[in-house]
Amino acid sequence: MLRHYLTMTIAVLKRRPFYTAISLFGISFTLLVLMVFVAMADHALAPMAPESRQDRMLGVQSARMFGPESAWSSNAGYMLFDKYARTLPGVEALTIFSSFQSVATYLGDQRITSQMKRTDGNFWRVFDFTFIEGGPYGQADVDEARFVAVITRATRERLFPGAASALGKTFEADGQSFRVVGVVENVPDIRYVPFSDIFAPITTAKTDAYKRDIMGDFQAVALARTRDDLPIIREEFNARLSRLELPDKAYKTLVAPFETKYDAIARESPLADRSSPDRQGAKLTVFLAILALVFVTLPTVNLVNVNISRILERASEIGVRKAFGAPTRQLIAQFVVENVILTLLGGAIGLVLSGLVLRAMNQSGFIAHSAFTINARVFAYAVLIAFAFGVISGVYPAWRMARLHPVEALKGGPSR
Amino acid sequence: MTRHLIRLIWNRKRQNLLLTIEILCAFLVVFIVAIFGLTFAVNARAPLGYDTERVWVIDVGRPRTLAGQDGAEAAAAAETREREVFTRLLAAVRELPQVEIAAAAFTGPYVNAEWVSGMTLADGRKVNYVYNRVTDDFLPLLSMPIVAGRGFAREDDATAVDPVLINIQLARTIFGDANPIGRIIPEKIDPNRARRPADPPQTPKRVVGVIEDFRQGGPYSTPQAVLFDRVRLDGEAGTPGRLGVPERLLIRVKPGTPAAFEPMLVRRLQRESADWSFGASTMESLRERKLNDYMMPLTLLSVLAGFLLLMVTLGLTGVVWQSVIVRLREFGLRRAAGASGASVRRQVFGEMAVMTSFAVLAGTAIVGQLPFLPLPKELAVPAPVFAGAVALTAAAIYCLTLVCGWYPSRLAARIPPADALRYE
Repeated sequence: MLRHYLTMTIAVLKRRPFYTAISLFGISFTLLVLMVFVAMADHALAPMAPESRQDRMLGVQSARMFGPESAWSSNAGYMLFDKYARTLPGVEALTIFSSFQSVATYLGDQRITSQMKRTDGNFWRVFDFTFIEGGPYGQADVDEARFVAVITRATRERLFPGAASALGKTFEADGQSFRVVGVVENVPDIRYVPFSDIFAPITTAKTDAYKRDIMGDFQAVALARTRDDLPIIREEFNARLSRLELPDKAYKTLVAPFETKYDAIARESPLADRSSPDRQGAKLTVFLAILALVFVTLPTVNLVNVNISRILERASEIGVRKAFGAPTRQLIAQFVVENVILTLLGGAIGLVLSGLVLRAMNQSGFIAHSAFTINARVFAYAVLIAFAFGVISGVYPAWRMARLHPVEALKGGPSR
Repeated sequence: MTRHLIRLIWNRKRQNLLLTIEILCAFLVVFIVAIFGLTFAVNARAPLGYDTERVWVIDVGRPRTLAGQDGAEAAAAAETREREVFTRLLAAVRELPQVEIAAAAFTGPYVNAEWVSGMTLADGRKVNYVYNRVTDDFLPLLSMPIVAGRGFAREDDATAVDPVLINIQLARTIFGDANPIGRIIPEKIDPNRARRPADPPQTPKRVVGVIEDFRQGGPYSTPQAVLFDRVRLDGEAGTPGRLGVPERLLIRVKPGTPAAFEPMLVRRLQRESADWSFGASTMESLRERKLNDYMMPLTLLSVLAGFLLLMVTLGLTGVVWQSVIVRLREFGLRRAAGASGASVRRQVFGEMAVMTSFAVLAGTAIVGQLPFLPLPKELAVPAPVFAGAVALTAAAIYCLTLVCGWYPSRLAARIPPADALRYE
């Protein structure tokens, strides 16, 4: 039966190349946009080096203090994690590191701007960076405040152009001089938690004033022993923060929950309740679903209109089939299957196009060091999206078709 | 004629409803682009209020101290020390032969750090404004036009009230058409408001001058109310103008200063204060980045909208074409009864125009709800821009359907009546 539908579909599509072209253009463009978005989201959120163990990670990327009159939103301070997060139950390793900061290196007249993160020794245990040469600095280097640094491959090329190895070489950044001990593979800046160009020990900061702050410029990531420990870590830290006495009397509560990356992004979305330490991910999912729905409205209506036109074209065929007793259900099924085949075809074109668009985006440096690809997961999403689109845009026209009166249909279509 | 057309459309109401919905969707898509584009275009024509030629900005990063954490006295002592360092930095920069003029401020043009503050007027109105704290040289450095009164100067040292500069928009909001120079802003001062221990007590603000504008976000940003406080680095604690520590140094360099001046400048500052951080950038690069912040979303949106419209154009053409073919007998009959080809063509266009009008009316009704939504004030669009965007969108949509009807209507008009009637 399916083979019969397939033959029919191809015959129908070949009969009216103009309609086929319009439909395919609309479908492939719509799916292209959705697929590019899915590929970007996948690149930002799926587990991959240096966040391969992401399913066991929770992080704090933002901190907010709320008072009756005022609110303060920034990153958390070092002391908050040092004092309250180190002893959390279920944590295999905890790393505290600064947000990335722009630093300048001057090579002669030329200014090179890099992003720099200051981290503890655990940073290299929690994240699995790929070292091209050398290795990470350890906790001893951090404790002794040694001016050593790990840089990325792209930074090596910019700071030491033409050099085969950067190990042992020194460079200046933010007015300080660092010795390179390791070079790692580039990190796309869409993976904004571990992203940086230069990594240096936290203790090389210009003063140690940061050690006393509860609000500041720091983030923390906890690697849990097992996935079952994740809710324990989250709830225990929230409980500790709720008991915290804030030094600044203008503020009453501090919200800085350990969250998955998706929940952390959701916290910044317009729908989120930022003053609550509860998970906000579900709201973002609803928001994105609505956004996608709004976006596909126009292409869907367009496809429905084109489909109805195509049906009217085939009115006599439908009339004949109805006159010979084909049940309504079968006609509907046939048309929906036809439409799904058409959208899958458009989806295939969209997939190829999105591959090209993503490659162009990678090459343009639109997002630094990005390597957007269509992997099996993205492909599966694409097929799912195309299938759903095909069913949605096929059902109404099929219903219209099935309701055609045989006599009218045989005469060449309804008068109304 | 129109009534007749509406009846014809009513007779095919189901399909025409879907077509109208599609045109309505297209209307909404175009409207989004139009409102952004038109807002930017209108904004670009308003004066900026400054000139950034040869101006550089240096971000000054101090080691962070949490106000109040170590007690008010420690915080005040730390601030005094930081102000001394800042004074030295300013002096060091002024000595460099490449520097024409230097100033300190909380923020500058095209800088991402924005400070929006607010006050409650005596009559109960709440006013929000873009806030900045600047030294006396800030205005001449950026060649900011002063519309009335004067800029900040040494003579403000002696006053017991806060001298402030406001822009034309804020002056009009507070004082209407009256002359604001020398007047105290009628502000409700709330003694219970939570404040940092190091801040001086809130004092009344006296307007010393009116600046044309200070549109920090650049030419595409929407003009807002602006208020400048005067900051002085040498005042006694608790005196007016002793407002925290500035976050940025601004300099204007002499013509022909090369980019190689930057490392020299940063090293000089670093030498003055080793544990602070300095990041220099030219206004030109900041401006480029800021403009990109505005243009990038608009470009992406336009590309998306462009493809969506192309899709609609092709789809509508196909649908109209098909409906013309289905109705060839009807057109043939009209031709046989003596109607000219042009009149048949007018009928096809007329039907499309009626549907488009329905879609445009529905679309206008939908976007017309926008001003009544509880949106933040900054997002509110002025009425003329809104009306302009609706008109522009309607015109674009009529053009679109005209294009879609072009070929099918020609087909309908060209068909010989005999052929059309033979169809059956």
